[in-house]
Amino acid sequence: MNRFWIVILALAAFSCQEEVYLPLATIDGDVPVIEAVWTDNTYYNEVKISLAEDYFDTLETQLISDAEVFISEEGSARKIPFAYNVYSNSYLPLNTGEKAEVGEKYQLTVRWNNNVFTSSGTLLAPPTVDSVTYEYQEDRLFRDEGYYIKVYGEIPFEEDNYYRIRVIENDTLKNDRDDYLLFDDTFGLRFFEEGLELNYSFDEGDKVRLELFRLNQKAYNYLSQLVNLLYNDGGLFSPPPQNPVSNITVIQGESDVLGYFNVTSVLSRTVSIEPEED
Amino acid sequence: MRVTASLSIFLFLFLLISPFSRLIAQESNVFTAQVLDVNNSSPLPGASVYWEGDISSGVVSDLKGNFQIKIKSLPARLVVSFVGFETSSRVITVKDLEKSQRFFLKPDEMSLDEIIIQERRPDEQVRNMETGKATIPIATIKNIPALFGEVDLLRSLQLLPGVQTAGEGTTGLFVRGGSADQNLVQLDGAPIYNASHFFGFFSVFNPDALDQVELYKGNMPASFGGRLSSLIDVTLREGNNEQIHGEGGIGSISSRLTLDGPLFSDKSTFVISGRRTYADLFLKLSSDEDLKNNKLNFHDLSGKLTFNLSEKDKLTVSSYEGSDFLGLDEQFGLGWRNWVSSAQWSRNVSEKLFFDLQGYHSRYNYRVEFDDPDTGFEWKNKLSETGVKGQWTLLQNDRLQSFWGFQSQLYHFAPIALNPAVNSSIDPIVTNPKNGLLNSAFAGITYEITPRLSTEAGLRWGFFNQIGRGVDYIYENNVVGPDSPVVDTVNYKALENIKFYQGLEPRIAFRYLINEEFSVKAAYNRNFQYVQIASNSSAGLPIDRWILAGTYIPPIRSDQVSLGLFRNFDENRWEFSVEGYYKDFRNVIDLRNGAQVLFTDNVETELLTGNGYAYGAEFLLRKNVGKTTGWLAYTYSRTYRKIPGISLGEKYNPRYDRPHDITLVLNHEFSPSWSAGLTFIYTTGQAVSFPIGVYDVDNQSVPLYSDYRNADRFPDYHRMDASITWKNADKGRKWKGSWNFSVYNLYGRKNPFAYEFREIYNDDFRYDSGEDGPIESTRQGIVMTYLFTFLPSITYNFQF
Repeated sequence: MNRFWIVILALAAFSCQEEVYLPLATIDGDVPVIEAVWTDNTYYNEVKISLAEDYFDTLETQLISDAEVFISEEGSARKIPFAYNVYSNSYLPLNTGEKAEVGEKYQLTVRWNNNVFTSSGTLLAPPTVDSVTYEYQEDRLFRDEGYYIKVYGEIPFEEDNYYRIRVIENDTLKNDRDDYLLFDDTFGLRFFEEGLELNYSFDEGDKVRLELFRLNQKAYNYLSQLVNLLYNDGGLFSPPPQNPVSNITVIQGESDVLGYFNVTSVLSRTVSIEPEED
Repeated sequence: MRVTASLSIFLFLFLLISPFSRLIAQESNVFTAQVLDVNNSSPLPGASVYWEGDISSGVVSDLKGNFQIKIKSLPARLVVSFVGFETSSRVITVKDLEKSQRFFLKPDEMSLDEIIIQERRPDEQVRNMETGKATIPIATIKNIPALFGEVDLLRSLQLLPGVQTAGEGTTGLFVRGGSADQNLVQLDGAPIYNASHFFGFFSVFNPDALDQVELYKGNMPASFGGRLSSLIDVTLREGNNEQIHGEGGIGSISSRLTLDGPLFSDKSTFVISGRRTYADLFLKLSSDEDLKNNKLNFHDLSGKLTFNLSEKDKLTVSSYEGSDFLGLDEQFGLGWRNWVSSAQWSRNVSEKLFFDLQGYHSRYNYRVEFDDPDTGFEWKNKLSETGVKGQWTLLQNDRLQSFWGFQSQLYHFAPIALNPAVNSSIDPIVTNPKNGLLNSAFAGITYEITPRLSTEAGLRWGFFNQIGRGVDYIYENNVVGPDSPVVDTVNYKALENIKFYQGLEPRIAFRYLINEEFSVKAAYNRNFQYVQIASNSSAGLPIDRWILAGTYIPPIRSDQVSLGLFRNFDENRWEFSVEGYYKDFRNVIDLRNGAQVLFTDNVETELLTGNGYAYGAEFLLRKNVGKTTGWLAYTYSRTYRKIPGISLGEKYNPRYDRPHDITLVLNHEFSPSWSAGLTFIYTTGQAVSFPIGVYDVDNQSVPLYSDYRNADRFPDYHRMDASITWKNADKGRKWKGSWNFSVYNLYGRKNPFAYEFREIYNDDFRYDSGEDGPIESTRQGIVMTYLFTFLPSITYNFQF
């Protein structure tokens, strides 16, 4: 839909852009940002904690390395402590083999500077991915020419249908705001059975890794609001910009908190784009 | 003597057999006629009529332009005069008594070396009862420099004090702190739900087709209701009954043509008007393949028929149809369309009692089509309002007038329907319809308590039912929110009551005449509104979701008190007014963060409800007479909302809170051929939210916003527009042409349209990863988008 607005602004001929400076207010105090990912695959499990900074601050993002972080499994004595890792600049499970189990509910706890932050989520069963195909497509509306990947699978769930697909192209995560692929069952899920075409064109020789996450609703909402915010241009047609609603709550202390706790199952597939045979 | 006797006998016999005998026989010594404006055949009330050389015989035409004057002897010369029109005199003979007579007055364009652009009494603002009412004559609107040369009614109204705009180029109106959906925009009494083209850059009104526009800023008569903040009452003009007449224009982006004239006889007239844009042509000139295969156009078509059924009955039928279309590559299409129609029967029941009956139907629909083999769809929706209104007006005497009537409005908001294309793998979506019935009774009086003190009091009583066919949802523990489970669904049959509201809307105003040129007015108004838009963007979109009051959504309410001083100077050549107001809003809505309202059947879970208030002072200095006309306006106004769930529950400013607003509108007639117009606008910048910081999450640099909404401001907005009009000297030819050259934003002010807070790569905000190589540096930046710097346009206008 981006081109939709290009056309509107083109009407004005006439629209121009330039970089400007505006005096902006600054952050009052420390605002921690917690990004916790807890999955059924040890590769993804980590907790990043940093501080928000003033908009024009040119310093490196300030990381918090002295927090106490653990995840506990509801209804059991299982507690997974995390420790700061200087190589990943994040907190990793002390026991490297720790991962989430389908159907279990987990609570994240972060203690830092006399503040305690918690959040919870349930690991939902993943859908089924049957196959991943690709096909060369000519130039289309909203899509350039190139190879397009289709994912075929089955989503048998009646509720909690909140999904994200991430794409890693030749070891580089596609993380532009246009690259977010989030979907729920608003328009049904039949398109997943009949082949969900990813909105990226690839070239011959590309090695593409797909990651399919099944999220909790609040984490999905967080990411949806994050994408909306990234697209918010502050213009008349945009809603007033607001921070995504975090699913992390402050249970002790006066601090604000940003970020989210993502308990998610992960499926991944890798495909190499080979030249089509004549 | 003999001739006179023969004439008398002839006259007697004629009257005896004439079909007019009854009429004349009643008052055989009276001459009856009507005074009309030659341009549009509208009646001219208050015209002076007298026999030449005997001013004491004079009478004044009534509201319908009719007059009766006693005959002393015939033939005699009758003089008809009216301020702003050329005086007409005609010899009246006995023969003239045989048929109905009409006097068509021509606007007095060169009186006392002055141009008079006047559609009302010179001292009207001092003497009338209205506060918060503004009018701009259509002739003035046509002289205001316009964006793309497109003379625009709504954008002209933005130049009046108390009316704010949401931003550059848009036609949305924000009147005295109210949002855009709180304006009732009606054309010949029928509401228009989306009064704009091109996403708000142009309004739907073709100025050539209009007779007049009146803006009531909240203090509207009891005969009107349904919206909180304003009534924009637009009237299509009637055709003339003399001969076919046409006017039109060829502009930079559109052309228009209007024809009017008699229909079958001089008792009925027609006017038909059309406008079509050709912005597509500009897109085709683009070298960008993405742009040149697109379509972007709109058109308007309107017509009005007037039938003078008898001396006492008049019937008008009018209709407007307008639509927009945006098409991309034959694969994506977005179109929207307004279609409103109305019919009005006006009857003079007696000399003092008048009756107007009106029926209307207004329909708005949009359609989105996406042609794709996997996910193609058609998404459409329509809404309609059908109404009938009857009003009686009684002129008891010079001091007392009263009116009473009823209005019934049936709202039908059809289901939102998303239908997949053949072979599409998305599922259909259909919501439930929403229907409402609003019945209102109203009455009011205008009473002159003393020669100096007058009052206008009215009461409107609305009875609103949300009715079936429809569905209501019951939420767990009666908590309505995005996470609240639905525990039950209640289906309602057609016309079955779902929810009932009623509201009394008192309206009262006083005017105290300190002297002939100075008055003080005070007013109080309450309004209820039962329909609104569920949106939190400032500019309207064609796909906006209109919602009705219902089980979980109460009607919104406003109470406004206002006080004004009205002073005319220099024999009414100058008008000055100061008006202050305070306005209270109840049950206004906003959307929660991340709300999804377009496809849901549970809109109520996405809404936040609260209150608000607004206040302001509006200063207006206006000159309506002379070679130089125009106005200077200054408004100081504030508007606040307080809605739990937004801004930590603290009060905040909507985007259109713009405390200081200065407007200068000038038009000068250098000669009969040359004239020029100039406008200057200065307003405080829009209230917006800027980030206070930035943070990293999900591999993104995300702007961090304060919890307090709209605590920042765009830079102040200012702009000057100018135009020059040259018209051929009137040599008596039927074809009259004129050229208008205008420049929007004369000094090229870069007024921001939007600020985007994002990362800048390689110190180049235009960085393109496909062309500009690898990213070597990243920092936060602000990219400003601005529109329309020094935009010239040319238009050729003609009349024949």
